[in-house]
Amino acid sequence: MDKNMLAGLEGMPEEDKMRMASMIDQLQIRDSLKMYNSLVERCFTDCVDDFTRKSLKKQEESCVARCAEKFLKHSMRVGMRFAELNQGAATPDN
Amino acid sequence: MAANNSPLPDGVTKEQAFGMAETEMEYRVELFNRLSQTCFSKCVDKRYKESELNMGENSCIDRCVSKYWLVNGLVGQMLSAGGQRPM
Repeated sequence: MDKNMLAGLEGMPEEDKMRMASMIDQLQIRDSLKMYNSLVERCFTDCVDDFTRKSLKKQEESCVARCAEKFLKHSMRVGMRFAELNQGAATPDN
Repeated sequence: MAANNSPLPDGVTKEQAFGMAETEMEYRVELFNRLSQTCFSKCVDKRYKESELNMGENSCIDRCVSKYWLVNGLVGQMLSAGGQRPM
């Protein structure tokens, strides 16, 4: 979700546009924080299983790093496909 | 939401229109998040052997998104046929 959503709202009075922009900003902030929380939970659940000490093992750290990076790349890809589908673009069935 | 100075539908105040727009946006964000979480769980190996997505995962993701979207449409149709109107 981004300000491209505002492109369809050209004819609106300025104050209404600003109100919509502020709504979108708030949604984006809330969404980022939700994503942060769920990503932490996911990578913790998948990567950390050993509670013999408080510190993270080296392989737990690298696992978390790969997990987070993978999810972010995945999220970008999903975003592209989602945008295509939203616009009603036909995608090849393969 | 009135997009080109056309009047709002009958009986809808500007406040209501903003409320509906906000609800619609929240719905879309939620849809995206659930879709993303679901397809990640279904398509990506939890062992995280590397930080890149491999070709198999990429195709799986594309297909998963496509199917999820279709299911979303199907369920929407069934709900409105049943007399409920989600949006």
